[in-house]
Amino acid sequence: MKILVIEDEQSLRENITNYLNVDGNICESCSALNPALQKLSDYDYDCVLLDIGLPDGEGFGVLQYLRSNQKNEGVLIISARNSLEDKLKGLDVGADDYLTKPFHLAELKARLMAVYRRKALNTNNKLIFNEIAIDVQGRTVEVNETAIVLTRKEYDMLLYFIANKGKVISKNAIAEHLWGDEMDMHDNFDFIYTHVKNLRRKLLDAGGKDYLTSIYGIGYKFVG
Amino acid sequence: MKLSAHYTRTSIYITLTVLLAGAVIYYFAINYIAQQQLDQGLQQQLIEAEEYVRSSNLNPQQYDLDRDHAVFTRTNEQKLQKRFFDTTYFNPKEQRKEAGRAVEDLVELKDTNYKVVITISRAGQKYLIEVITIITLVLLAGLLLVLFIINKYMLNGLWKPFQLTLKEIKQFNIADVDQFKGKPSKVDEFAELNEAIREMSLRVTYDYLNLKQFTENASHEMMTPLAVVTTKLDTLIQDETLSAGQLEQITDIYSSINKSSRLNQSLLLLAKLENKLITDNESINLETVLPEKMLQFQELMQTKDLSFEHNLQPKQVLASKYLIDILLNNLFSNAIRHNNSGGVIIIELNGEQLSIKNTGANHSLNEDLIFERFQKGKESQGTGLGLTLVKNICQHYGYDIHYTYDSGQHTFILKF
Repeated sequence: MKILVIEDEQSLRENITNYLNVDGNICESCSALNPALQKLSDYDYDCVLLDIGLPDGEGFGVLQYLRSNQKNEGVLIISARNSLEDKLKGLDVGADDYLTKPFHLAELKARLMAVYRRKALNTNNKLIFNEIAIDVQGRTVEVNETAIVLTRKEYDMLLYFIANKGKVISKNAIAEHLWGDEMDMHDNFDFIYTHVKNLRRKLLDAGGKDYLTSIYGIGYKFVG
Repeated sequence: MKLSAHYTRTSIYITLTVLLAGAVIYYFAINYIAQQQLDQGLQQQLIEAEEYVRSSNLNPQQYDLDRDHAVFTRTNEQKLQKRFFDTTYFNPKEQRKEAGRAVEDLVELKDTNYKVVITISRAGQKYLIEVITIITLVLLAGLLLVLFIINKYMLNGLWKPFQLTLKEIKQFNIADVDQFKGKPSKVDEFAELNEAIREMSLRVTYDYLNLKQFTENASHEMMTPLAVVTTKLDTLIQDETLSAGQLEQITDIYSSINKSSRLNQSLLLLAKLENKLITDNESINLETVLPEKMLQFQELMQTKDLSFEHNLQPKQVLASKYLIDILLNNLFSNAIRHNNSGGVIIIELNGEQLSIKNTGANHSLNEDLIFERFQKGKESQGTGLGLTLVKNICQHYGYDIHYTYDSGQHTFILKF
């Protein structure tokens, strides 16, 4: 997957590109609106990560550019502005998703993968990971061609882990992903453990490998 | 009461008082003038009577004329002050007594003094005064009626520009691009009012945009560093050489960051609420939203072994989905966080109110303080803004929220 990160905050930009630059992804970045427009006119990308507040203009300009040039890049807006107006405006102008700062990199990756799947894999909704096959449209999972029944939370968790395979994911990030950052779940992470345990058991029961490793003190890792 | 009604009432009171006082003065003045007229007539009669007595040289006889009569009485008095007085007059034609006016004087004839009393009828004068009074009263009533009608129907027309201005002010929405225009008016006061409102609306709109920009900038400035820290930590935990102890510390940092970012969002939201910057209202059915919330909080409930009891009836509210979400999130997490293990949460919704009752600590909370900012129990992990947000959201929509405690049951009641 080829990604363009448009973000003016240098360290944030570096963290994002470092996190995304695995599994054969190519991640390029720029820090302002005009170079971004230049890059978008010169190259094609699969996905664009877009910060709205750029030093030389509003990031909405990128969306307008993409639309008026019939370009098919999926766009994920990242913004510190959390007003509903901005969210609606972004989605109206053609963004595929909207993520507010601060966010976890794992969340960013999962959302980016979802945008990419919707855009690029429109014809084939199957997400295959070794013996696990996920139909993202029907929200069904097969292991070794045997259907397994996951709860909504387990399903979301599995997709989240696969999107971030090989990365350590903190319990905070998982909680925020599953319950939303507006819900204060942080006095108690026990229920994450319960969901992870159930998911692992269901995958193992269907003959899958054990991909989930618990990282003591911080969270989990889905080892690809 | 409307200003025009006030005006009508005042002007009618004043007119009525002035007219009544005028009528009284008028009545006495006419009475006085008429009396002077009568007295002049009597004086004339007296002179004629004296002439008659002197010229006839006879003992004066009583005589009656058309509407007056004279009586002569012999008297020994040498001196008598001439006086006019009110008396009764016997009308011989109609054989009845009438109000009369008389004059009394002495007439001398051949060293004999006669007291002469001439009386005339006042009936004609009384009739005149009655007619004048009736005409005056009719005029008075007519005047009042005309005044009332003018005030009620014609002065209302004068207020029309004011009503239009008022209507426009009521429809004025700060978030709209359209600003206040005001209908042009020939009346100076209304033109001035429109001008003042126009200036005020410009200023308010400017302030609104300023504040909106400030909250957005503040949000940006505060959230960006938090985003940097979060992503740095996300990168840091990929390092496999970190010890479990170090990772646990990182978890704590994550939690703190999460807390401060939620605090930030809450403060910005409060600022927005207090300045009425949230306007995205839609119709929400609480009867369907509440079960979704219960589902959302399911895991939290399970870890504390809590159970829900609920009795829900349909209730539509017109509000921002986002704010209702925050409102319910805070009430629910509050009911869960401060609950006993194995306790219950009872939710009741009807057309008038929503009540969320939970078991918990065996003492009442201070109702004056719980909705204040940063008031929280020592054991609470919250930001201390949850219930403040609840209160402000309720205020925003004109709901009434209060807290009651009854033997281990803490209840929040929200009246629509």
